[in-house]
Parts: sequence; C-alpha cells; structure tokens
Amino acid sequence: MSTQQETFEIIAKQAKIDIDTIKVESTLKDLGIASLDAIEVIFDLEEHFDVTLPNEDTDFDNGTVGHLVEAIDRQLAAKNAG
Amino acid sequence: MRRIVITGMGAICALGNDAASTWKAMTQARSGIGVIERVPADQLRAGGVVAEIKGFDPTSRIAEQRAAMMDLAGQYALVAADEAIAQSGIRFEGENASRTAVVVGTGASGEATRDDQYRRLYADNASRLHPLGIVKMMINASASHISMAHGITGPTFVVASACASSNHAFAQAAMMIRSGLVDAAVAGGTEACITLGTLRAWEAMRVLAPECRPFSAGRRGIVLGEGAGMFVLETLEHAQQRGATILAELAGAGMSSDAGDIAAPSDVGAAAAMRAALRDGEMSPDEVDYISAHGTGTQANDSTETRAIHQVFGEHARKLAVSSTKPMHGHALGAAGALEMIAVMGALREGIVPPTLNYLEADPACDLDYVPNVAREMAVSAAVSNSFAFGGLNAVVALRRWK
Repeated sequence: MSTQQETFEIIAKQAKIDIDTIKVESTLKDLGIASLDAIEVIFDLEEHFDVTLPNEDTDFDNGTVGHLVEAIDRQLAAKNAG
Repeated sequence: MRRIVITGMGAICALGNDAASTWKAMTQARSGIGVIERVPADQLRAGGVVAEIKGFDPTSRIAEQRAAMMDLAGQYALVAADEAIAQSGIRFEGENASRTAVVVGTGASGEATRDDQYRRLYADNASRLHPLGIVKMMINASASHISMAHGITGPTFVVASACASSNHAFAQAAMMIRSGLVDAAVAGGTEACITLGTLRAWEAMRVLAPECRPFSAGRRGIVLGEGAGMFVLETLEHAQQRGATILAELAGAGMSSDAGDIAAPSDVGAAAAMRAALRDGEMSPDEVDYISAHGTGTQANDSTETRAIHQVFGEHARKLAVSSTKPMHGHALGAAGALEMIAVMGALREGIVPPTLNYLEADPACDLDYVPNVAREMAVSAAVSNSFAFGGLNAVVALRRWK
C-alpha cells in the first residue's frame, strides 16, 4: 500500500468521512477536520508511520493532504537513510 | 457599591524576582525567554525555548521547613504574596484575619512534584515515594501556605480555569469584597509548568514555538513561562482607614464561557467577557487607553482577540494601545493574568505602556496598535487586561488609575 493510500485511510477513519471524498488538494479544513481533530489526525499518522512531523509541515488551514503525504515520505526517507 | 483598591503587588517570573524588577524589565523591552536549563534542550522540539526563572533560592525567602513542604508553584505564590503584603502594610490581627480572603488562580500547579514522583514510580521502579508528595502537588497548596504564613483565616481557595485562572481569581476576590463577606483579599496566580512532562504535552498540541511574536506576521505559537503575581485588594474605606498607599483601583471584572470548542478561541466569548468587565466597572469603552492583551502568539488567538476588540470598542479600537507582554515573561498559563497585572499597574501608575516584543510586520488579520518592540510613554487612566483559556473560559479585569 502507498503512503498516500494509508494516509487517506487514517484521515477517513479519524474524521469519519468517506475515503472517496479525500483529494490530494484537499486541506484538512476542507474536509471539516478542525482544531484538535486535525492535531489528532497528525498524531495518528505519526504513530502509524513512526515518524515525527515538524510543525511547519502541518499547516491545517493551507497545507493540503498531498503536502502531508510528501512530508511523511520525506520523514520515511530520512529514517531509512539513517 | 464598595470600591476596591490595590495596595500591594508582588511578582516573580523570568524577568525578575520581584514586582519592581519585573516592571523595569517590561519598560526596557527585555525578554526572559531562552534555551531551557532545567531539562536537556535536545529532549524537546523547537529548541526547548522557555521563559524560566533562574537563580531562585526558595530558602532565602521562605523558612526552610516550609519550603521543603512546597512545590515550586507554592513557593512562587508565597514569595509574591509576601512582597505584596509587605508593600501594602496590611496586618491580619484580630478580626482582620477572618475578614481577609486568599484566592490563587492556577492551571495545574505541582508539575515538578508530579514529574518526580512518577519518574521514581515508573522509571526507577522505586519501592517507596516521598511522603510529602500529596501536600506538595495538591492544587490548593499555594493558597494554604499564604494563609498559614500570614495567619489569614477568611475564605481561602484556588480557582482553576487554565490560562484565565488569575483573572478569575481577581474576580472572585472582588465579588467577595463587594458582597461584604471580607474587607480585603490576597489574590493573584501562580504556575510552575517548566517540566519535561508538561513541555512534551504542550508540544503534542503543536502550539509551542521557538519564539513568541504576538499579533505579528510570521507568528508561530507560544513560549511557556512560569511564575506568580500576587496583589492585596481591599475596600477603599479599609485602605484609607489604615492610611495605605493606593496603587490603582480594580473597577470591574467580567467572565464568560464560549460553550464552543475545547481549544479554539471565540471572538464572541472574548467580546462578552470584555463587555461584562466594562459594564461591571461602569466604564465606557471610550475611557479605556490600554489593553493588556491575552496575545499568546498563536495564529488563532491573536486574530480572534483582535476581532473581539473591534466588536467591543468600535471606532475607539484604533485609538487603543494594545500590547502583550508574553514575549517577555512567556505564557505562564494560570499565572498569566497576574503577571500581566504588573504591566497594567505600571502603565496606570507611571504612564508607560510595555511593548509587544518580536513584532516583525503587520498581519492583515491583526490591525490594531500593538506598541511594537519599544515601550511608549502615554497617560493611561483606564486599562483592561484580557485572559482567555482553553476550554473556552474567559476572564477580563478593568482598572483605573488612582488620582
């Protein structure tokens, strides 16, 4: 399974939305995930992939789900390189 | 209605170990924020930046036996209360003891004690814990020690509303004095939250930043601080009878609850508390010269607070000086309103408004006069101090210069 697929599944589960409504260009805000729920989504992703996402990679208002996937991939690559 | 005046103040925070040095640092635009020393900085994200109190020796200011029974939160509260009581000259003999209240605002207290206990229990597998753990970490300890150290026997308790705790404490003290229940109160707030456990918990909320720049473009969040501010409040009559020096008048207090989100701020709730404080203090919005803002440095708080100020003050909002002293003493959570009261008292008494440090440039969502980076000399005859808490709990106090 790809990072994107896994990320979408985690977001869908946490936000209780249909996975088909999630697009790469959606922001968490667009998906109706606000405030603490958004922080929880990030936490779930960090736990699932065992990575730490810096604050600047998790802009809930402007950052898209695509950006999140890229940020996770960057952390995974860094982890595997280390 | 009984008028309430302030006759003593005390403080300890990253800016100084007393009220005078704290205020002086505020006028000089100094910051107490830096890299943490209590915990290895590499155990924290964002460089481990906090506003720590350094070089505090509790036994130099508190009897050794008492200090040993106290968490830092209690020690901070007691030294600030001692200072305020000494300045005010108030005595608690005879009936005065039972006619005085102690109200301390605090969000958590006892964090260092809790951290130590649980490290011993879970990490060191200790077979026994220190017997004073409970009396050190109980949230009411700071109020109890102020009462015990000074023989104050009136209503004594702690109020907890996270970052609004101190202002809620001032409000409770004011209501008790006005109702005739007591004639005086020692009121303020304390917090000692600079521990690995607390910092990691705040980190997890993604609100900590490597710097604090309220209302500015490029702001990224809060920097935690610690400390205490304590004040002596009494009726005007009580103060005049004993020939006390009056520092300022506590005109009113307003409280509200957002009944909305557990973390996200609300302009409606903030505006309601400001309006309530003005109404309670019989103060028209146009009278206010200075607002000591909650101004945490998060994206959400600062734009929301700005909107709320516009709603309450209308045209007059643009004429207000609005500043946040959090870039100097950090966000001290339950003690925030008490430390910011030092800023308000100084502004009223000396005609200097402390600045909002680290201000880079305007954010379109924050379009007021935030007194950027440099203190300003201006006459302040009335001021408002805002505190808005997680959980949607808001408390605002309104003060007047004493002429």
